[in-house]
Amino acid sequence: MSDRGVGASIARKEDDRFLMGTGEFTPDVQLPGMWHAAFNRAQIAHGRLVSVKAPSGAEGQVFTSADMADIKPIRSTASFPGFKGADFPVLARDKVRYAGEQVAIAVAPTRAEAEDIADSIEVEYEELPAVVDMNDGREPSAALVHDHWADNVCCETQFENGDLEPARAAAVHTIHRRFRMARQTPFPMEGRGTLAHYDSRLDELVVWMSHQLPHPMQRGIAHFLGLEINNVRVICPDVGGGFGLKTHLDGETMAVCWTSLKLGRPIKWIQDRLEHLTCDADCRNHQYTMTAYTDEIGKILGMEVECVVDAGAYSPWPWPIGVEAATGVGNLQGPYTVDALKGRSVTVCTNKPPSQPFRGVARPGACFTDELTMDAIARTVGREPWDVRLDNLVPPAAMPYDTVTRKHLDSGDYPEAFRRCVAAIDPESVRERQKTPEPDGRLIGVGFACFYEQTAYGTGPFGYSAWGIELVPGMEMATVKLTPDGGLWASVGIQCHGQGLETTLAQVAASELGIDPERIAIRHGDTATAYAGTGTYASRSIVVAGGAVAQGCRELKPRLARIGAHLLQCDEADVAVENAEVRGPGGSVTFDEIAEAFYHHPENLPDDTDRGGLTVATGYNDKVHGGVFGFGAHGAVVAVDPDTGQVEILDYAIVDDCGTRVNPLVVKGQVIGGYAQGIGNALYEESDYDENGQPLSVTLADYHVPAAPMVPDIKYDYMESPSPYTTMGIKGVGESGAIGPVGAIGNAVNDALKGLGVEIAETPITPRRVFDAIERGRAR
Amino acid sequence: MTSTTISVNGRTVTADVEPRLSLADFLREHEGLTGTHTACEHGVCGACTIMLDDRPARSCITLAVAAHGAEVRTVEGYDGDETMATIRESFKKAHAVQCGYCTPGMLATAYDIVTRLPDADRDRIRLELAGNLCRCTGYIGIVDAIEMTLAEIRGGS
Repeated sequence: MSDRGVGASIARKEDDRFLMGTGEFTPDVQLPGMWHAAFNRAQIAHGRLVSVKAPSGAEGQVFTSADMADIKPIRSTASFPGFKGADFPVLARDKVRYAGEQVAIAVAPTRAEAEDIADSIEVEYEELPAVVDMNDGREPSAALVHDHWADNVCCETQFENGDLEPARAAAVHTIHRRFRMARQTPFPMEGRGTLAHYDSRLDELVVWMSHQLPHPMQRGIAHFLGLEINNVRVICPDVGGGFGLKTHLDGETMAVCWTSLKLGRPIKWIQDRLEHLTCDADCRNHQYTMTAYTDEIGKILGMEVECVVDAGAYSPWPWPIGVEAATGVGNLQGPYTVDALKGRSVTVCTNKPPSQPFRGVARPGACFTDELTMDAIARTVGREPWDVRLDNLVPPAAMPYDTVTRKHLDSGDYPEAFRRCVAAIDPESVRERQKTPEPDGRLIGVGFACFYEQTAYGTGPFGYSAWGIELVPGMEMATVKLTPDGGLWASVGIQCHGQGLETTLAQVAASELGIDPERIAIRHGDTATAYAGTGTYASRSIVVAGGAVAQGCRELKPRLARIGAHLLQCDEADVAVENAEVRGPGGSVTFDEIAEAFYHHPENLPDDTDRGGLTVATGYNDKVHGGVFGFGAHGAVVAVDPDTGQVEILDYAIVDDCGTRVNPLVVKGQVIGGYAQGIGNALYEESDYDENGQPLSVTLADYHVPAAPMVPDIKYDYMESPSPYTTMGIKGVGESGAIGPVGAIGNAVNDALKGLGVEIAETPITPRRVFDAIERGRAR
Repeated sequence: MTSTTISVNGRTVTADVEPRLSLADFLREHEGLTGTHTACEHGVCGACTIMLDDRPARSCITLAVAAHGAEVRTVEGYDGDETMATIRESFKKAHAVQCGYCTPGMLATAYDIVTRLPDADRDRIRLELAGNLCRCTGYIGIVDAIEMTLAEIRGGS
């Protein structure tokens, strides 16, 4: 059975329903008597709410925060130094703090009617000056986003490890740069959406959500509505992409739940794209000020960095303000042997949507910073960046290696991954090409980025638990049972929204028990089928849910062995459980036969049959709590048009290592999908604002998501360095591909521009930014 | 309300609809054909692409009343169609599906490419796909799948 278990590139079990158009996403769910919701949203970025008036004829169909006094405001907690909490009202209360904030909910039999009503609600504001830029927000003269705070800084962290003084003293070169990453939206193809319905038979509020974290949402909805967990069920059906967007409890969902209970009818809200581009412009938006100290040849001796994060207006639940900054500073040395690092982060509230994690969390920003710094070092010391990188990468002999930011890198040959990437790109040939001007006048550049990806981190002494936040992952649970006909059923508390986990978790179980994946059902995304879990985020699900499913299978084996041995009339010690059967010295019984005996013919069971039956509820707990580390290298060759500033990717190579690959097809798909988002991050995607905090990127004409022609083919290679700490050596891979592109493309552009003596230091690297840099170079 | 008659997957449907009702909402809400997905609702992302008189069209910016007298084919309407069966098989083999939300629209465009451009190369396939956004796959698997389908059709004919 190993040919369809772990390591096999089998087609996904979930594909058929998507290819036939029979998947079921939240917008597809229809219930009798269902009404639709639409939101009236703030037209200004900052102002006091003077009055909200529903149109006549819409009595009982419009609700505001005044109606929802019984909902607790959403409030997140954290123990970051100086962390300031602030209520995130379900609907705006007293003030609006970003353009697009929900002010009132309107409901009607159709979505169109609900939108008509929402648009006719009259809202009077007293406009206040908006805090648009995070640096301006730190000025004493800035308006206050939250009136009861002394300033807009809502969290500051300090980190120091190693002694920076000797590094400073010994430094031959000091490289100082400031980098910025624009605000973006995660842009899943399906936006957010919620359908709430009270099931009177079960006394249960049933909430369909397009979401990644069913159990945390069950907990949050119950808590903030004042219900018992027993009275809330969350179902996350097919979900059209998440990327981190769908990991927080949104006010819209709370308002929909409240209204459904109030009116006693199903209420559905489906976010439209305008709402997504306006209200979910919630990620990246960091600024890094880096000082690197190096020796003569570019070996980094120490780093000093300040990271400023634009948090937007509120701290969402369960991921509070501060996680982005802590993650950014906590990975700034990248995959390099840096002995001393002093970091500081400042998180600033502004009048923009609340910041949230997006694929890679702050690591694309950290990668952009350390990788562009690395090339700046190489230019300073007069060496090639690939040579300087090889001198700085963590060598395989040092594994496992504890980084200066206390990341325990578990396994892998980082320099080898990089050498393979360099070989695929062949930068020497680019150097040759650069000696002759291009016929079309474009400038050619080559760049690389190396990175690691912290996956599946748990209680982590330097992560979640130390941050004092609401949601600390650790134990991940699965229920595994042999079905009455000899198939396998497993329920898990993660949620699959494109990662292929219905297939890959089945492959894990197939490897353990020898049951064909086609006979293994994986149930996820429903608090009624999985008894616990924290959901899918942080590249964790295949590691933790895979570990839990494998553990369940392993705990089933002795139970199967006992029944099988009894049926075979042989000693339990003499049987083997494999290939979906129990084999003894004189013959074998299939799992189907064992299930038949257990479920339908207990008279054939041994007296000491395990009272747990053929169902196991068990879990996976990390051997290490700070995660396991995938890693890789990206390389890019670009052409820059000096007349237009346009960047074209001519060549791109990725070498990736995520430990044991459960399904190589799925692994490659994750890496390439991340790469495409990284291209968007590097070159195209920006949620821009005017000086009043009005969003400027609210249609797909203004917000450029990479389309097929913008995502070229790649040279792809992989390595497999199993983790010594996880089941089967599996590591996560969900975010890896999205981390490297900003670094590789940024460096390639800067390599192309180096003759002009200018550098790009801000994403996205749009034609305007490139053209401006070229103009600066020409003016020198 | 305006009366409109549309052939949907070979079945004639007559309904009284609001003039502002989009064809996408008509298919989803009135006909229960939820395989057609809406994602941007302003005619850019291509998730709602269906066949309208054998040509790909955005059902989110096509009004139901404007489709009066037309033949509409949705993702649910390819039973027995060998070309679509080959495309679907190729999508599975090439891992051209992740979350599945853009997939019905992708299939409509893929069907159009395969039937209209039998000699399309990867660049041309990418250009033709430019009106269909996918956020998960990075498109490479989709381009592979369409190339694979074209090769299979060429090999079979």
